[in-house]
Amino acid sequence: MPADRKRVPKKKALLQRPPYDPEQRVVAVTGAYSFVGAELIKRLERDRRYYKVLAIDIRKPTFAMSKTQFHKIDLTMPTADADLAAVWKREGVDTVVHAAFLSTPTHANAWAHELESIGTMHVLNACAETQVRKLVVWSQTVVYGAHPLNPNFLVEEHELRGGASRSRFVRDKVEVERQVRRFAHEHADTIVTTLRTAAALGPRIHNFATRFFTRPVAPTLMGYDPLMQLVHERDVIDAFNLAVDNDFAGEFNIVGDGVLPYSTILAMMGKVPLPLPHFLARPLSRALWATQVFDSPPNFLDFLRFLCVADGGKARKVMGFAPVYDIKATIHDFLGVATPETAENGGRLQHAAGGV
Amino acid sequence: MGGKQILGDDPFATSEVAEPEAPPPMPPPPVTPPAVIDAQPQREQERERQAPETYSHEAKAPASEYGPSIDRPSPSGHRHGLVEEVKHIEKSVRDRLLPSRAEERTEERNKLPLEFVWQRWRKLAMRDRSDVVDEFGRDPNVAARVDPLLEFLYKTYFRVETRGLGHIPDEGRALIVANHSGTLPYDGAMIMHAVKQEHRARRAVRPLVEDFVFHFPYLGTLMNRIGGVRACPENAERLLVQDQLVAVFPEGIKGIGKLYRERYQLQRFGRGGFVKLALKCDAPIIPTAVVGAEEIHPMVGKVTWLAKSFGIPYVPVTPTFPFLGPIGLVPLPTKWFIAFGEPLYFNAEYGADGANDRILVNKLAEQVRVRIQEMIDGLLKTRKSILFG
Repeated sequence: MPADRKRVPKKKALLQRPPYDPEQRVVAVTGAYSFVGAELIKRLERDRRYYKVLAIDIRKPTFAMSKTQFHKIDLTMPTADADLAAVWKREGVDTVVHAAFLSTPTHANAWAHELESIGTMHVLNACAETQVRKLVVWSQTVVYGAHPLNPNFLVEEHELRGGASRSRFVRDKVEVERQVRRFAHEHADTIVTTLRTAAALGPRIHNFATRFFTRPVAPTLMGYDPLMQLVHERDVIDAFNLAVDNDFAGEFNIVGDGVLPYSTILAMMGKVPLPLPHFLARPLSRALWATQVFDSPPNFLDFLRFLCVADGGKARKVMGFAPVYDIKATIHDFLGVATPETAENGGRLQHAAGGV
Repeated sequence: MGGKQILGDDPFATSEVAEPEAPPPMPPPPVTPPAVIDAQPQREQERERQAPETYSHEAKAPASEYGPSIDRPSPSGHRHGLVEEVKHIEKSVRDRLLPSRAEERTEERNKLPLEFVWQRWRKLAMRDRSDVVDEFGRDPNVAARVDPLLEFLYKTYFRVETRGLGHIPDEGRALIVANHSGTLPYDGAMIMHAVKQEHRARRAVRPLVEDFVFHFPYLGTLMNRIGGVRACPENAERLLVQDQLVAVFPEGIKGIGKLYRERYQLQRFGRGGFVKLALKCDAPIIPTAVVGAEEIHPMVGKVTWLAKSFGIPYVPVTPTFPFLGPIGLVPLPTKWFIAFGEPLYFNAEYGADGANDRILVNKLAEQVRVRIQEMIDGLLKTRKSILFG
């Protein structure tokens, strides 16, 4: 970082937008080591319209990079915004993809808050400073929260009830959404896209859902069996690619087609359900969380009880995003089972929308 | 579909793959039309005829269980290049030197010792559920399993007599508005079954289930799997826009929780949400009266102080329920009548903007309520006995 700082010109640069050339774009990706960041960079590397990609993380991505520059910037550091702004201004960044978020709840509450909420503040400050043309932010449908009053399909305008939950993981994400919304309101000339992805499964991604569904036994709440929604990892990357390629302002739910009851998902995956009565489940999960045995906060039990399913209609209509994998294909791909539909392709659905 | 397209787009793939594969597809067309039974000898003859073209036959065979074979030329045909040849030799040498790395070649997941048990468990767990449900959670397999029970209740137990089924349209959206009663929501299930079994179009009714039932353990899940949908404006609108038949019980929880002495007196119709929906979605309202359901669990009182700890609004007290334990849950075998009335087309009269007029909405809701009360009173007049009709 000190080396970077030395190269920055001392005098304050004129506040003007770098010339935007649609054939020579420069994209910055925060959280470049994460699955979403790394896969998106791989896609952009292959695309000739992108001149340069800035990968920002604290760990260097492990794939071969030709036009990607790695910048080690820690978003939890107090001056991260100045560092980001300096790099972006120097390279003439026109699009920022903010994907530096946790995909699994952590016990390190304070650090998680610094990374997600304060990290986003730094990114937004740097965006405002450099006046980037477009900002794409990763969010998740958990921000809607599992609530007894949720309709079967949550639209983007729906209230974010996750903010009331006691889970730091969800609350930070809601706080990020609020900051991003305020930023979009104050900076009308920046295109702000928020992609709220459902629980993503796939053969390569690692997140809370994949860990949850890798264990042989899964808890259920006695008498409750809500509908659930999944999205395939490649569809998530597709959506990010679309949002970087084209301009869509606003929030979008990125979800796979179809829903399935939780018990059916477990049955398809061959998991053994462990039905727990309510009076036992909550104290038990609280104790397991407090003793750091289990990685799901107690209020995640709500997701096993109430609906939290988002409507992907807006993304389909406005972005033209059509998920290739429906929920059944996603589960099969996650398991690595060949089905009649995928057998002729060696167990994988042929992905039609590669790139554009 | 996608696979072929991509193969076709790739210039390398088309030029090199198409040629070796071109001969085999030619003979089959005359072979395939005859019956499948004698296809076997013909295929053997064909194989004899094509004996020299061993590779083309291999290429047609389905992918091996253990991943692509290494001694078959790769489909792109690049192996003839010098670089590929060197790479191949390099790989085989490396494999021989490091035998442990050889198994990385197999793309297929290694079969676990418990794989067999796992597969059996999956089959067992999936036996009475479907792996595709509709977007509101109706599982066709569960519905098919519950159907005989509903049929028994409909035909034998409650001996339901249905009138005015002709008022339900064969297609297109409509809103069935009915009175609600009976402590447990049997009436919704019976309306659903009546339309499915006796209506000429055998339409599926989606009853809107109030939160009390929808979030009730087991019961709510079962209602959801056989077609119930949580009652809220967003869900109802989505269903109506899809031209489905929606049944709504505007009395809601007040209807279910009526005491025996209040029977057949319609409660307030919510806040008129169903009228707003009908106006907004241009759906006719079909007023419906259910008679007989009020007496299945004659409720003489409610206990609220105990119910809080179970998370439900009250514990019903019937002559049988808390005292006889689970036997008290068996409903009384009353004789039921379901009457569908003439559809009311509010939208034609007031237009979609009427939905914003609160006073109009309340007036129309009251109009529907009076209409259903009249239908109930008419049915009650002709009824002689609670149990035998």
